[in-house]
Amino acid sequence: MDKKRILEEGLLELYLTGELSEDLTAIVEKALGEDKELKAHFDVLEADFERMGIEQAITPPNLVKTQLKNALEQPGIRKINWLPLSIAATVALLFGLSSFWLYGKWQDAESSLSTLQSQTSQLRRQVDKLESEFRLTSNHFKSINNPDVIPLVLYGNQKASNGKAVAYVNHKSQQVLVNPKGLPALPKDKTYQMWSDVDGEMINMGTLPTDSELVTLKYIEDAESLNITIEPAGGNDHPTVEELVSYVIL
Amino acid sequence: MKTTFEDHEVIASLLSGDDKALLTLYDKYAGALYGVILRMCRDEAKAQDLLQETFIKIWKNIGGYDASKGRFYTWAYRVARNTTLNSMRSKKKLIQTEDLSVYDTKEVNEEEPDYAALKGSIKTLEPHHQEAIALVYYRGYTHKQAHKAMGVPLGTFKSYVRQALKQLRETYNHKLVYILFILQLMA
Repeated sequence: MDKKRILEEGLLELYLTGELSEDLTAIVEKALGEDKELKAHFDVLEADFERMGIEQAITPPNLVKTQLKNALEQPGIRKINWLPLSIAATVALLFGLSSFWLYGKWQDAESSLSTLQSQTSQLRRQVDKLESEFRLTSNHFKSINNPDVIPLVLYGNQKASNGKAVAYVNHKSQQVLVNPKGLPALPKDKTYQMWSDVDGEMINMGTLPTDSELVTLKYIEDAESLNITIEPAGGNDHPTVEELVSYVIL
Repeated sequence: MKTTFEDHEVIASLLSGDDKALLTLYDKYAGALYGVILRMCRDEAKAQDLLQETFIKIWKNIGGYDASKGRFYTWAYRVARNTTLNSMRSKKKLIQTEDLSVYDTKEVNEEEPDYAALKGSIKTLEPHHQEAIALVYYRGYTHKQAHKAMGVPLGTFKSYVRQALKQLRETYNHKLVYILFILQLMA
């Protein structure tokens, strides 16, 4: 439809009041978009129309504005503003996803924590064990590394060739420690046993298990020599003199 | 008054959810729209309700307003006009189902209220131009209904409206020139 026809048929006036059919509205809007002169004509028409509207204005009572304000505050008629809603939905979705992720992480952390706890208690036990071993070793070391201690080496005879044991005797503190590691290993039903010779009588000091590095034995006063014999497992009340392996005079 | 830069800003605020922006538009356009609604329905209490309804519709449907297609006032006028016409149609239907004669008699015998009269520059127009403007813009008649009401052909009626608007423009321009002249004298 050309501009002349739109103007002659007064379609702009009908368009202004919204009286045109959808088809004619689309045609007029298209023409207005394409024809600057027609648009300028419509702009003038609109300006006149609005000026007339202002001139014919009637001030409404203030009550209407108050009621409108109240209506705006009613939640029921609020228009749906999708922007904040969509932001809220996005935030909720992110919150949900992050919660799910955090739950997974929490489960992992729980599992790691329980592993760590078990490792920690294992380490604790190892530390305790090491500590007690260290204390023992330290005590042994103190017992040995002392000016009052006399170290004595007991060399094995033909029954224990190349064997040797070291005894640390402290007369002051009345302690005897022996390292039997150097003695040859014995069958399971046999053991080494140490004796003190006091006026020709052999007094039991205790057995010497060869798997120990340092064995504490009974201190016997006035001992003249230390003797090692091979005895049945568990030790003997009296030494089997034939099985004497080594001795040292004090 | 046209859709100014301020109007665009206010409408943008309204679109972004600022309800106070609607009250700004109300302050600017309520009088003009109330003038249309009241002259159409001729019932002050009803017109006040319809004015409120019009602004609620503006608020809800502001997303449908396209500034490139025309001024905000034109769009708001159409909302007000349609809201009022719909209300009058439903009222008429309701009354017709009950007692048609009461409504008809009442309308015929009703005196023209003071507020219904047009004022200002329009009164300087010739009577048939005044009537054409009143029917189309302030009584809610379509052009087809109005030409029948006036008893003139549609083409003639359309030219009445066009001539009336042209004469009004000239009146406004004369007023503007007069105001500018006064302002210059004062300066």
